[in-house]
Amino acid sequence: MSVTGSRRLLSVVAFIAVSLAAGSVQAQTRSETLRYVTGASVNTLDPNIPGSTREAFAVSLSTYDRLVSFGRKQLNGKWVFDLGKITGELAESYEVSPDGLKMTFRLRKDAKFQDGTPVTAEDVKWSLDRVVTAPVLGKAQLLTGSMTSADQFKVIDPLTIEVTLPKPDKLALPNLATVYPIIINSKVAKEHATADDPWATAWLKEHTAGSGAYQIESFKPGEQVIMTRNAAWNRGTVDKSAFFKRVIVQSVPEPATRANLVERGDADLVIDLQASDVQSLEAKGKLKVISTPQYNAVTFVSMNNQIPPFDNVNVRRAVAFALPYDDMFKAALFGRGSPLFGATWADGKPSSGAYPIPQPVKLDLEKAKEYLKAAGMPDGFSTTFSFNVGQASTAEPMAALVKESLAKIGIKVDIQKLPDAQMSTQINEKKLPFFTEGIVAWLPSTDYFYRNFYTGNQRWNYSSINNPELVEIAQKARFESDAAKYEEYGIKLNAIHFSEIPQIPLWQPSQDAVMAPSVDGYTYQFHRQVDYRDLNRK
Amino acid sequence: MVRAGRRFLSSLPALFGVLVFTFLLMRVLPGDPAVFFASGPNAGKEEIEVIRKQMGLNKPVPEQLMLYLYDVGSGNLGRSMMTGQLVTKDLRERLPASLELTFTALLIALVSAVPLGVLAALRPGSVIDHGVRFFCALGVCVPTFVSGLLLIYVFYYLLGLAPDPTGRVDIFASLPPRRTGFLLVDFLLAGDFDGWWAAFRQLVLPALSMALFVVAPLARITRASMLVSLGSDFVRTARSVGLPWWRVVVTYALRNAILPVITIAGIVFSTMLGANVLVEKVFSWPGVASYALDALLSSDYAPVQGFVLLMATVFVIVNLLVDILYGIADPRVTIG
Repeated sequence: MSVTGSRRLLSVVAFIAVSLAAGSVQAQTRSETLRYVTGASVNTLDPNIPGSTREAFAVSLSTYDRLVSFGRKQLNGKWVFDLGKITGELAESYEVSPDGLKMTFRLRKDAKFQDGTPVTAEDVKWSLDRVVTAPVLGKAQLLTGSMTSADQFKVIDPLTIEVTLPKPDKLALPNLATVYPIIINSKVAKEHATADDPWATAWLKEHTAGSGAYQIESFKPGEQVIMTRNAAWNRGTVDKSAFFKRVIVQSVPEPATRANLVERGDADLVIDLQASDVQSLEAKGKLKVISTPQYNAVTFVSMNNQIPPFDNVNVRRAVAFALPYDDMFKAALFGRGSPLFGATWADGKPSSGAYPIPQPVKLDLEKAKEYLKAAGMPDGFSTTFSFNVGQASTAEPMAALVKESLAKIGIKVDIQKLPDAQMSTQINEKKLPFFTEGIVAWLPSTDYFYRNFYTGNQRWNYSSINNPELVEIAQKARFESDAAKYEEYGIKLNAIHFSEIPQIPLWQPSQDAVMAPSVDGYTYQFHRQVDYRDLNRK
Repeated sequence: MVRAGRRFLSSLPALFGVLVFTFLLMRVLPGDPAVFFASGPNAGKEEIEVIRKQMGLNKPVPEQLMLYLYDVGSGNLGRSMMTGQLVTKDLRERLPASLELTFTALLIALVSAVPLGVLAALRPGSVIDHGVRFFCALGVCVPTFVSGLLLIYVFYYLLGLAPDPTGRVDIFASLPPRRTGFLLVDFLLAGDFDGWWAAFRQLVLPALSMALFVVAPLARITRASMLVSLGSDFVRTARSVGLPWWRVVVTYALRNAILPVITIAGIVFSTMLGANVLVEKVFSWPGVASYALDALLSSDYAPVQGFVLLMATVFVIVNLLVDILYGIADPRVTIG
């Protein structure tokens, strides 16, 4: 066997050599196909299913239409979504009554579902009813726009639907442009509804029944989704069908492989590379890199305001002045983002009522020591600093720097790296004293941030702050329609934030979209994914 | 055959034990899957409760266990939150991918390790022996993801010889009708030789990087047992009666030395199947191991339990096969 074995080995080696040499013969003409690679995966075709991933959101934007969608604007030369400009998608036009209590949508006459049947107000009603009634994710979202019950949606005629609100809410209309309120072909969905599942959630998880720009060609959860263009779709910003005939969304877990793929031109677009790879690709200059600070997201160092010693405001201030911000920003993000530290506020007043704004904090160990003394802990204390495994590439270097710097003022830090599910559980149970996390808001406005991330005993209130004044102002601001007053509220909220320092905003990381030079039209979207309908090839 | 069947039956209690143990272990681990999966920007308590109910976590653990056992008994391993699919469906799709990769890697490993081991044993202490030892040490020292990334870097990135390392088949190619799930077999059955070739090329690099890692134990064990059998009386007798050298080595020495190699190959196979997660990740291979790891990270109970059960079953079957191969290699051994 040894002789035959080695001969076989030889032939295998020869075979492999030949096979590899045969190489990339079958170069396809694929300019009409977009190949997008991602480390995450699509797990459902209905974005409403609890547990659905962000990649699933992105796919649903192409397969379904909403009543309305956000426009886009240029920010520092890059296209980003525009909350202030809401355009019709399935709606040809919309109207908000002067008292702000009624929104009327006129549907496009030519809009058809992918099976060819026209989109009617009945479908819209069924779809919106589903979002507020079924056990789906959209329920909590639409709640933020004062839409909670099916009674609020009324069919006026086959092409007109009316939404009534209990009080004027400026987030009502934008909410209908978010990911969840998709318009479903109700006739098809109803056929697949069962007594246990009247809203066909099980069926819609694996099938689509929409009017969107793309149809699902194949869907392998966790691996890939292939979509083909719906040629009849004309709801684009320039009133025509999407550019790419075919879109491939493929999961490639290894970031280095994703970088290789896009660099070699085998993939067209990727948005989740490691910061170091982005930097080297940008330096090589062969690819187009569009970095947009995620201006609706914030990364924090959070402290649990209910657990000693962080219940003491002076301890929190001490920490805020003991963090090596610049080093952290460089080590974690390679400086790719916009910093939220190192500002100077004239007269100590917040520079604006927006959220988030750069804070007047910087590394100042003397000041930190003074605060620690004021807190009655001149010798410091011991604590743990936690982050989740999924964030390790940015959080790990950051944690090491936090530990090193805090040691200088006597705070001994143990670094704790937690699996993602464990981290979210512990945050939900309010057990972590000191950690780093991020937040994102689809509809970023100052009151929204304060109401969701600084209010109540709930998961997203990372710092567990309980400040009645803050809650009151945020609630008032929500329904404030006067811009000047709103700004005033915002400044007040920001002032409370800085004086309490419940948590320390660090930065807004950049979304680095790396793409083939021929790909054009990339827009940073509120959901932080790619809207494939935006893209074209030059 | 009857004995083999009986042998399989006797391993059922062990499988049951594994099932219950994993079930309890998953629930003891910190990390609440419901909280993790309810992480949309507005998910609150209500969403968490919905998911908890959907996963059946709102019931007491003993009741959950009974329900789970009942489900497993009726062939249902539960539903994965991560992919939204039935675990049995996910595993059925992914197991052939892992098996195909592991079989190929094992084949490459055996085909290279056994001759290497024999060569080393024939000339112990020689340059060849040291060369083999060096090669083995290198293979073991370099973790599979490093060799994988290195292979990708050289053959895909630098030379452009290998296809892009994303899964089992070129994304633009069409798949053959699914018969066995093994792409190489399915393409052959469909008579699509270009497709077969494409699938084979996708397979080469991941299989090589896995094989590199397991060549060492196989080659070392071959060498050791060859040394023993080459020094034994029957080989000396064979030599003294003037049999041709290859006959001495292959028919007499190797056949007697192959038993421990088969044992190790069996173990290596089972380990590879479960532990090739790094290779699967690096090459975006849609296999069971990376599936289980993702599930574990997100505390998705059903897939992890299903995966462990699957691995235990595979282990039992592989052991059985190894025992049967024993009987073929050495007729004195019977399965007991």
